[in-house]
Amino acid sequence: MTGLTINGVTAGYGDVTVLQDVSFNVAAPGITAVIGSNGAGKTTLLRALSGLIRPNAGRIALGGAELAGQAPDAFVATGIAHVPEGRRLFAGMTVEDNLMMGAFSRRLPASALREELDAVYALFPRLAERRKQDAVSMSGGEQQMCAIGRGLMAKPKVMLIDELSLGLAPVAVDVLVDALTRLAADGLGLLVVEQDVAVAFDLASQIVVLDRGRVTRTGPSASVAADPAVRAAYLGEA
Amino acid sequence: MSASLLAQVLANGLLLGGLYAAVAAGFSLVWGVLNVVNMLHGSAIVLGSYAAWFASARFGVNPFLSAIVVGPAIGLLGWAVQRFVIQRVITAPVLITLVLTFALDLILNNGMINAFSADYRKVPPVTGAILTFGPIGLPLDRVLAAVAGVVVTLAVHAYLNNSRLGRAIVAVRMDRETSMLMGVKVEHIYAVTFGLGLALAGIAGCLMAVVFPISPLNSSGYLGIAFVACVLGGLGSIVGAIVGGIVLGVVESFGAIFVGPEYSVTVAAVLLIAMLLLRPQGLLGRAGYE
Ligand SMILES: Nc1ncnc2c1ncn2[C@@H]1O[C@H](COP(=O)(O)OP(=O)(O)OP(=O)(O)O)[C@@H](O)[C@H]1O
Ligand SMILES: [Mg+2]
Repeated sequence: MTGLTINGVTAGYGDVTVLQDVSFNVAAPGITAVIGSNGAGKTTLLRALSGLIRPNAGRIALGGAELAGQAPDAFVATGIAHVPEGRRLFAGMTVEDNLMMGAFSRRLPASALREELDAVYALFPRLAERRKQDAVSMSGGEQQMCAIGRGLMAKPKVMLIDELSLGLAPVAVDVLVDALTRLAADGLGLLVVEQDVAVAFDLASQIVVLDRGRVTRTGPSASVAADPAVRAAYLGEA
Repeated sequence: MSASLLAQVLANGLLLGGLYAAVAAGFSLVWGVLNVVNMLHGSAIVLGSYAAWFASARFGVNPFLSAIVVGPAIGLLGWAVQRFVIQRVITAPVLITLVLTFALDLILNNGMINAFSADYRKVPPVTGAILTFGPIGLPLDRVLAAVAGVVVTLAVHAYLNNSRLGRAIVAVRMDRETSMLMGVKVEHIYAVTFGLGLALAGIAGCLMAVVFPISPLNSSGYLGIAFVACVLGGLGSIVGAIVGGIVLGVVESFGAIFVGPEYSVTVAAVLLIAMLLLRPQGLLGRAGYE
């Protein structure tokens, strides 16, 4: 089993340190969820794991390749795709152009590109219907499908998803959870930041709890979900 | 004003506008993607004109043909200027890059004045033919130059929307950080875009040389045209540059009749101010680059 190894990562913005000595593993295949309150540093963590910010210390390795300190294109080329918070689709571009942007780093010939697009359309048939539509004119759920599809076009070994379900209708969340479960079964490693802890426990087999930039708990979903301290903090139970 | 005069003035304006589209497109592209106001653009156009003049005087090659070499050559120069000079301050506020390109413009313009003097030069007519449509007469050279200007600009538009690298340029313009997540090397895209912008300037210079006398003194006027067309059409939009260029050409052409050709710069500037006050998002309604 290969995966993403995060070891002693300290990172932030300028003089502000957000992440303190963060260590955990993301199994591939498998689904790991990160939970934590607002401002805990979840987005900062994913930004460090895709090279958008350089850690001040620590190691980030995927399948033996050391990535900390490298530029984002090295992360993509090694096999990490990042589906950012708020989806960040390219406005004014069609769904298909957005998906093609996802494959930018791979320089695929047209026929191979077509096959990859068809694979995404098979996973999310809704996108096939809307391939020629401006991506940001779709519903939130469809946009999230497009953002995930765009990430898949990079052919990642590990995909990072920030705020999977935020602002989406429950039916849309079900479709996404279903698709991610299938992708993990097919070999993909997933690290999902999820505000809705019920969704996180349901989706992931491993949970990482982030609190003010530190990892305070890691473990299998069932045991983290049963922890009274976690239930008190994140499910509002007394 | 008679109908035939009206038609003639309109036709003149449209032909001018086709050239202006080419003058503005590269400037708009660079502003939109790099957020750099490229003060060097006007002098790069003049450099293209001189190259066309040189090709004509020395080798007898007309500007339509020399543009095929001159455009890429000046584009390559632009790529290098971005890669090795502007890139060093690309994250600085827009004022810094503006001052930098302004200084580069002074160097290039001064160099051209020393090399060619400020005297006007002229490329001999390519066809010299006049097309007549009833009462309207149009020099064929001007028609060809205007059509070439629009065709080249549309070709760049098609490239941006239909190629891997072109889409990456558009993506960087929309959202730099997310394009990095796609594996796009932004500094590479910046250099390519600046090169493309200056290649367009070089081609525009060749086409302008078909119609207008050449002098380093033209550069600020060309920059003004690019500015106004860009604001009219919406920043960073290639189609906007075409629309803005044509509108400016037509307005200038009518302005020359109603208030006199010596006020063409004033007419353009008034149009610019009116646009900024009334419709800052451009005629096409697309928001500019913030
Ligand atoms: N660009 C930035 N510059 C400086 N500080 C930042 C920046 N982005 C985030 N921060 C700070 O870093 C801390 C962690 O923010 P981050 O966005 O990683 O949290 P989060 O867990 O993703 O929160 P949320 O649940 O609201 O998305 C916060 O204190 C935030 O103010
Ligand atoms: Mg966040």
